[in-house]
Amino acid sequence: MNTTTAPDSRPWRSRGRLGFLGLVLTYGALVLLCLFTLAAAGDLSWGRNPWDNLLKSMSEFSRPSFLDLWFGNERLEYRSEDGTLLRVENRREVEASFLAALGRATWTTFQIATLGSLLAALLALPLGLLSARNLRAPRPLALLASTVLDVSRAIHTLVFGLVLVGIVGLGPTAGILAIALHSMGTYGKLYAESIETLDMGAVDAIRATGASPSQVFFSAVWPSVLPQFVSNHLYVWEFNIRDSTILGLIGAGGLGLLISEAVSLFQWSRLASIVLVVVILVTVFDALSRRIRLALL
Amino acid sequence: MAEIVIDIRDIRVEAGGRCLLHVPALRIEQGERVALVGPNGAGKSSLLKVLGGFLPVTQGSVSALGRTFGVTGQQTLTAAEWRQLRMDVGQVMQGLHLVPRLSALENVVLGALARPAAMPLWRSWLRLYPQSIQREACVALADLGLGNRLHTRADQLSGGERQKVSLARLRLQRPRLILADEPTSALDPNATQQACEALLAVAQNATLLTVVHDPALLRQLANRVIGLKDGQVVFDVSIDDLSTSLLNDLYDDRKPAEPTPHAAQGWERTCAKSPRELRSVGLASSLHERPNHA
Repeated sequence: MNTTTAPDSRPWRSRGRLGFLGLVLTYGALVLLCLFTLAAAGDLSWGRNPWDNLLKSMSEFSRPSFLDLWFGNERLEYRSEDGTLLRVENRREVEASFLAALGRATWTTFQIATLGSLLAALLALPLGLLSARNLRAPRPLALLASTVLDVSRAIHTLVFGLVLVGIVGLGPTAGILAIALHSMGTYGKLYAESIETLDMGAVDAIRATGASPSQVFFSAVWPSVLPQFVSNHLYVWEFNIRDSTILGLIGAGGLGLLISEAVSLFQWSRLASIVLVVVILVTVFDALSRRIRLALL
Repeated sequence: MAEIVIDIRDIRVEAGGRCLLHVPALRIEQGERVALVGPNGAGKSSLLKVLGGFLPVTQGSVSALGRTFGVTGQQTLTAAEWRQLRMDVGQVMQGLHLVPRLSALENVVLGALARPAAMPLWRSWLRLYPQSIQREACVALADLGLGNRLHTRADQLSGGERQKVSLARLRLQRPRLILADEPTSALDPNATQQACEALLAVAQNATLLTVVHDPALLRQLANRVIGLKDGQVVFDVSIDDLSTSLLNDLYDDRKPAEPTPHAAQGWERTCAKSPRELRSVGLASSLHERPNHA
């Protein structure tokens, strides 16, 4: 096939090394502009005593609260200034109940991520198929699908969450829907790209046997892209587990609620416990999904 | 006279302002073995794509197996008619295209997708193929010496094995017309021989159109040879009239594409016009206004 190269329709596009140098200089100028405008407005401050704060936070961070389960004071006494005993607290019991709450919140976060991802994967499937260029869907439909995907990818999960909390109320439902609406865009894009890397020769070979479009899809397209779809699903799912840990900040349930509590009470040692759980959760899931993805290819 | 399987009436294919293919007239009868020869970019593959309905013409019309189609929007087949035509037209494409993640057996079974009696739609969706078809595919593969590779994934087969799988797929399709685009490219001499034999076996009751580069294969695969150059038919002779000088001229890129005196015989057989007239017609390119002489 002979395809003549179209004349460059973008006259502003610079070429060669000089052009690249120009790009780098423009970028440098942009960075400097950002820095100097911030500095000029006096917004580039480090606070009053950053080092003291850092050291204090770090020292509390290095003693995660779950250690109290074993080493906590069993009879912590709260006294008023004149010495009367106000309250006695068993640190070990308090910490145990916090850890139970932490476990429940982790499970909620996992639920939100899992259900949200599944919903997104299903919603994105038709959109991804429509927007894949090589499947040649009707043009207006393809354009509509890719626009929907672009918009949903452009709006952050948190923004969706804030809006949805106002609609469906506080709780995991808002979180699930927020995750679903945002990652629908990611899924659709990944699906479309998987399909676009397909060997169209094989698809045409099946078309050439006189198979109907549905047969071509299920015989040539689907078996080739399914492993990639599953791999994409695991990847975005993993991403969503990370994402859903902060959804609780806006009242959409899960670990984020505990994070916001810990932060507003300056309980850095509790925050350390939470962060540790997040890290373990994400790492374990990452290792598992990598195994599965390797096995699939 | 045998049935006319392909009847090309003055087709022209243009892309990007360049004429890829221009065939004033060409008829191929049932059971003929036709080889298309010519240098790269001569329009051989384009001609096969037109016949398979994968490349629309910009002028003229084509009848293949009794179905006539021409310029898009004027003379087109419905989607169902296209599918029926494609079922009857077996294609072996350049580049050994199999579905990479399916087994050799499944790839062969795919040839039978369009045979409605053999393959209920829901079975093809779920890839639960009927036993009878699977057995047929096993036999087809075993005949080509791939009996021990039935369940190997297509992307783990060698080039020669892939070509054999695509020929077995062709056999399950049971086409009446076979368009083979360089069926032996990328094969070693031994595999080439086996592939040729397999192709001829599949084409036993069908008409065969092959793009060939290897002169040694011409006698085996063809009884009629059509030379294409710069999108034009340069000669159209029976295999016995094919001379070495004819082929040398064809592949000589210093010589422009013009019907040579040698070609007269073939030309007259297909469109009953003198070579001189044809040359002027080819240059004038106002062909659809010419009176119908048939």
